Amino acid sequence: MKRNNLIFALGAILILLAGFFAPSIVTNPFYFFAGYVIVQYIVIATGWNVLGGYAGYINFGAAAFFGSGVYLSAFLFNAFGLPLWVGIIGAAALGAILGLAMGYLTLQIQGVYFAIATLGLVIVLETIVHNLPGLGGARGMAVYGPAPPEWSGGPVQYVFFVILIIAVACVALARWIEHSWIGRGLRAVRASEDAAECSGVPTLKLKLMACSISGAMLAAAGAPYPFYTNFVEPVTAFSLLIGLNAIAMPLIGGTRSWAGPIIGAIILASAQQIATVTISSELNILFVGVVLIAFVALAPNGLLGLAKRKSAGTAQ
Amino acid sequence: MTTRRQFNKLAAMGTLGLAAPTILSSKAFAADKPIKIGASVSLTGPLASTRAGEIGYQLWRDDVNAAGGLLGRKVEFVIYDDQSSASNVPAIYSKLVDVDKVDVLISPYGANLSAPLMPFIKQRNLFMVGMFALAGNDRARSNKYFHACPWGPDSMLGWARGFFDIAKSINAKRIAIINSDLEFSSSAAQGGAQVAKEYGMEVVMNQSYPPNTSDFSAILRNINNVAPDAVFVCSYPADSAAIIRGVKEIGINDSVQIFGGSMIGPQYGSLLGSLGEDLNGLVNITTFVPEPTLQSPGIESFFKRYTPIAIEQKLDPLGFYIPPFYYVAGQIIEAGVKGSESVDIEKMAQYLHANPIDTIVGKVAFNDIGDWTKRRTLMIQIQNVKGNDINQFREPGKQVILDPAELKSGNLITPYNAARKAS
Repeated sequence: MKRNNLIFALGAILILLAGFFAPSIVTNPFYFFAGYVIVQYIVIATGWNVLGGYAGYINFGAAAFFGSGVYLSAFLFNAFGLPLWVGIIGAAALGAILGLAMGYLTLQIQGVYFAIATLGLVIVLETIVHNLPGLGGARGMAVYGPAPPEWSGGPVQYVFFVILIIAVACVALARWIEHSWIGRGLRAVRASEDAAECSGVPTLKLKLMACSISGAMLAAAGAPYPFYTNFVEPVTAFSLLIGLNAIAMPLIGGTRSWAGPIIGAIILASAQQIATVTISSELNILFVGVVLIAFVALAPNGLLGLAKRKSAGTAQ
Repeated sequence: MTTRRQFNKLAAMGTLGLAAPTILSSKAFAADKPIKIGASVSLTGPLASTRAGEIGYQLWRDDVNAAGGLLGRKVEFVIYDDQSSASNVPAIYSKLVDVDKVDVLISPYGANLSAPLMPFIKQRNLFMVGMFALAGNDRARSNKYFHACPWGPDSMLGWARGFFDIAKSINAKRIAIINSDLEFSSSAAQGGAQVAKEYGMEVVMNQSYPPNTSDFSAILRNINNVAPDAVFVCSYPADSAAIIRGVKEIGINDSVQIFGGSMIGPQYGSLLGSLGEDLNGLVNITTFVPEPTLQSPGIESFFKRYTPIAIEQKLDPLGFYIPPFYYVAGQIIEAGVKGSESVDIEKMAQYLHANPIDTIVGKVAFNDIGDWTKRRTLMIQIQNVKGNDINQFREPGKQVILDPAELKSGNLITPYNAARKAS
């Protein structure tokens, strides 16, 4: 395990170094624009998977957390001129609080009812933003960020590097959770909550932790977004497509491991980015649906599950 | 064995081969390349009805290419679908600029999709034609942005001013304002309240309603209770239709002289057809109507070609509100290129700032942030509509222009109840 940790840490450092030096090698800004979306989805998929994949609680409300992160960071900058890193920490804290509140729902409801309740959270938050003139209401809010640091190579290169740091931090946290007592407890919750409770697993505590961590990651994913688009509006920030993608990506990659959401996000988000500028985007959305149905039907454990099954078959 | 002559021949051919891409892409050959115009259009998503505008691009491109192109170069559009989502816009426009290497840009539709682009075009010093964004360049203040739509300077107030000018002309004093709780309905209502104050009118009711409201009976009864002289309505298509139907069911106080102002929906063929004669008497904002004061050979030719394409593609069969201005966007680029005799964006921008240009919707001059120097949004009254035949709206006299004065094509029928019955 220690060797794996070392390899993971080295990989993370290499990825961050690559992100840092990328602007001096890749001169075309388009790749940073497209790359930002892909890395953003890695964070979203990883955040969703902590609750959905590890604990088995399906959250349709990823957009609620993402949107709250978007709006908090935009508001902190526009109203007080606070820098992006404050926005990220603030968004993560807000996401954790919202997650904790959502976690209490799990005391009352489970399964499909929990999923529907999370969907309601998106509508509630979107409606609140629609009716708050201080957040721009329905007409949205322009966010003209400060000049990026000189070393970053430009505004988009800077937000790309920021989201990359968030992604590496979130993936490291998700990996730690998976291998720690929390992950073992969450697996027990997913297998059978009653059995876990009878075996002395603190299910309530674990569920609340998973909800908070998941919420914090999803909200942190939204924090740099206003500096990417320079404009936020409720329909995009709370888009149900974010919720759909948040579920689809871990399902494609595999929900039982930290690596699954990354694989799913890279495949699906890249395909969507390519499809947006090559084929009809109606087909793009259809593509997500078809891939999702195909994986649920044929490979419910995602690509990692398929690979594991294949290697187990070969070993036999 | 290779002789010296063979070696030299080989070296020369090799050098030529290596140099060929550089030579072919040099300026000497650039004249053969098409001029590329990049844009995103909402082909899908909630703004997909605006895709009718793309026909405007296509017709302009075909006209220009048939006339030999611009500076002898063909014109080509590179268009992507933004899915009506602001989050897709930055990557799409970066691809247009950095990968497709377009020469000029046209913005997506409206303020919400254009806003993500404004810092980008300012930072990168790019030329862009704006489409239907209210106050699109007010903050970025790019000097290479030129608006294709007629909002004029100070568009937030200008949007409402025509209605209040008419209200003032008939001595209306008491104003009721209702608006949907959405983006530009709220802005239009705010603008209306400011203009009313400026004109010394009393706002006796100022009420917003949730965007999904379908029953307006309570709001209309409140309006009747306060008995205003004018009702300024800022609504979107679904609520516009519900309000018109509500007025038909509940009736409106006889004190109301004019009703409407900022209702989105009755500009589109679908709503004009479905509401038909229930629209009689409505005083409302629009951008183009087939009145004699706006006719020109250019616009007639445009609609002659637009209509069959729109009908075939099941898009807005009338196309008055948006499509002509997509054609105008092309004409702005055309004027910039021809006037400056180059595709150098600095020279194009300089030319457009200094010279008024002719378009199918009239002469246009730009101020320092690319807005039209003169407001040309139309305030029309719907009159003499019978039944629901959509083709009657192609005739003059159904949407008469009341404001601006120089384009006036008919007279206001007032009060509103009389105008609703008149036919």
